[in-house]
Amino acid sequence: MTEDELKEKILSLAKKNPKGITVNDITAAHPDLTSAELVNTINKLLQQGSFDIFNQGGTLLYRFKNQANKQAVKGADNEEKVVFNLISEAGNKGIWIRDIRVRSNLANTQLTKVLKNLESKKLIKAVKCVNASKKKVYMLYNLEPDRSISGGAWYQDQDFESEFVDILNRQCLKFLQQRADKIKCNPRGPIIGRTQSYAAAAEVQKYITDLGISNVKLEVEDFITILNTLVYDGKAESTVYPDGSKVYRAIEALIPAPGIVQVPCGVCPLINKCYSSGLITPQQCVYMAEWLE
Amino acid sequence: MSHQLGRVVSEILLRYFGEIVQQVGNDLFTYGSKPIGMIVKTTGLLRSQVIESLRTLLKFDLATFEPSANEIIADYKLLPDNVLLLLRYPRYLLQMKTKYGSEAEILIEELLQQASCTATVLIIAVATKYKDDKEKNINIIRLKDTFISLATAGYIQQAPVAELNEGSEIPTLVPVATIVPDLDSRVIVQAMNSGNIAEANDNIYWRVHYDRFHQDFRDDIMIKAMTRRIDENAGELMRLLLQQMYLASSPWAHESNAIPAMDLRELCRRSAAERPLLHQHVDHYLKVLEENGSGFVVRDGDAGGGLYVVRARDAAQKLLVSVLEHTVTERLGSHAARIFRLILAKKYIEEEDIQKHAMLPNKECKELTYKLLEEHFISVHPMRKAASSGGMNKAVYLYHIKLRDVAQTAVEMCYRSLHNVIKRGAYERTRHSRLREKQRRVRSIVHGMRLRGEPQHNIDDVEETLTPPEIALLQGVEKQLKQLNSAELELDKTLFILKWEKDMDEDNKRFT
Repeated sequence: MTEDELKEKILSLAKKNPKGITVNDITAAHPDLTSAELVNTINKLLQQGSFDIFNQGGTLLYRFKNQANKQAVKGADNEEKVVFNLISEAGNKGIWIRDIRVRSNLANTQLTKVLKNLESKKLIKAVKCVNASKKKVYMLYNLEPDRSISGGAWYQDQDFESEFVDILNRQCLKFLQQRADKIKCNPRGPIIGRTQSYAAAAEVQKYITDLGISNVKLEVEDFITILNTLVYDGKAESTVYPDGSKVYRAIEALIPAPGIVQVPCGVCPLINKCYSSGLITPQQCVYMAEWLE
Repeated sequence: MSHQLGRVVSEILLRYFGEIVQQVGNDLFTYGSKPIGMIVKTTGLLRSQVIESLRTLLKFDLATFEPSANEIIADYKLLPDNVLLLLRYPRYLLQMKTKYGSEAEILIEELLQQASCTATVLIIAVATKYKDDKEKNINIIRLKDTFISLATAGYIQQAPVAELNEGSEIPTLVPVATIVPDLDSRVIVQAMNSGNIAEANDNIYWRVHYDRFHQDFRDDIMIKAMTRRIDENAGELMRLLLQQMYLASSPWAHESNAIPAMDLRELCRRSAAERPLLHQHVDHYLKVLEENGSGFVVRDGDAGGGLYVVRARDAAQKLLVSVLEHTVTERLGSHAARIFRLILAKKYIEEEDIQKHAMLPNKECKELTYKLLEEHFISVHPMRKAASSGGMNKAVYLYHIKLRDVAQTAVEMCYRSLHNVIKRGAYERTRHSRLREKQRRVRSIVHGMRLRGEPQHNIDDVEETLTPPEIALLQGVEKQLKQLNSAELELDKTLFILKWEKDMDEDNKRFT
């Protein structure tokens, strides 16, 4: 048996067991192998980087490693490989520099150098986290950052696009309001009217996409978040249909603006500093004078 | 009982009863309850003045008394809630006018002014007052009928009677069950013509039953809310539900007894001509009423085609929340209101989660949250982790809303606003009092001249003493005062909702 054939056999065995194999597994599958050959082949494979080696309860565990990554780190030194592996393991959630340092046991200066190298080779990238502006995480270059990192459609370069959200919020409300009146004195009865005035998030999505106000592709979940803000604005209510889909309907407040907000005092920022005498009094109040004009 | 309440009560007393009563009222408000001697001492007024003021306050049910420790002298106590009702009089009158016509309005107006009065005296007083008024065409028989229907509907009730307990010098007021009187219009007419009222007097004193009016106001709010939420038919159905509720439940119960849907269907069938849609879809409307998130009505069982319960307590709470939301929106903007509702919906929520759900930029969100906290609309509950080292373990701050406390904040704000509006009104009145006085004089002179039939150019001469700028100014002042008055009424409406919820809440605590 040639060396290459041996390698193939062991690799295919390792591929079948993604959790890893021990030396015992190999000898059980290929009892004809001498221990010298075995040691030699495994060492070669380790050198190639086809295997990861783990120590599990005293026995050594070999696990097959994806070949694609191996390609990427060609020509890199050991430190770079370790760091690269850590980063690729983190997936699209990314990994914080501090965690890399702790897990790779590399010195700070060395690590920065390694990261810089990898970055210049366009193997990894640094992404700023939305909810902690100073925290940078590293991930593979070709990955799309997770929503918890990038903030989803609502963020542009770590900035929350409040205007975009506001516009969508308004448009969604407009869409719901167009339907809301259907419940009023509907000749086919209020339940049918109510059903007609409900809109599912998917319908809203279609309406907004047709309007073409957004050049970003928005998912149904994005619209559910927007519609929920309408519910928190008190301008809509939501119900769940028997099939589990959420539907929304524009509503009006139970009462018109109460007296307290119709007088200037109700909205006055100085209400707690207003006394019978002193600088701020109801008699000399400019807000009141303006309102009475 | 807050400082703000004291201020507004004091202003109201000043406006309706003058300075002396105001002083006595203030004194009673600050000290709780005290006997006449003490009032004389602290206010520095004459004893006769204090007694006179107390008499006024007691007459209008603005104060009460109880025997003090030694059972010989009485302690007097102000009833600030009743003082606030003075502002509601115009609404009572309007309610009467729309429901029972102008006779009822005049009767209630007279009764409110007299505070308490016997039926005969009241009717004769009204009849005498409008004897010369051809337009209104008041006659005693109609007045009597109106009086009886008002008593039947409970808008007026018999005043409590003073009873003297044994061994005590102080009488106690005992409420009397109202019996609808059997008035003879002939006797009243005779008494009026002969001028001998005492003969026809039955010594039963009547007074206005505020609570009955409040019940109407409450129904009105609930019906209007449903009309806004759904449509007129739903509002009508709500009205029918409330009407049925009164047949079997006490009017201010938290939850009514179950109302069978059969009765409602029957009622709708009767009004089918006016509201065909309602008649056609009663069950659907009931379902929509139940499921619109307001919680006014819930289904309580399926017996007899469905049983429905009106939940006044939940309704009060929903309306309170609505008032608070409006207040937050107007004070801090709609984004703050979004946060407010979000916290209300989630009950307890962390700061980070607020940002996530409210879809607001971090900075703005934090700022608004802290503003809400500062103005006491929301509260914060820190959850400290038990002794742990390192800076990583930060305390968790949970935001939440104590509805009762926020309602109290709103009530205080209402009191402040009410005080300010009244004060401003009084200030505007005194500022232009000279001009207003002049206008009044010119009017009365012109009226007299017209009656005497003097030539037109003489009248014009007198009228011209008011220069055009003065007239413009007077019109402006008139407009301002009107605006202030309507503001008072609106504020009172807000207070009504807030108070209603509070009463319900307190009842609840008492029972559980």
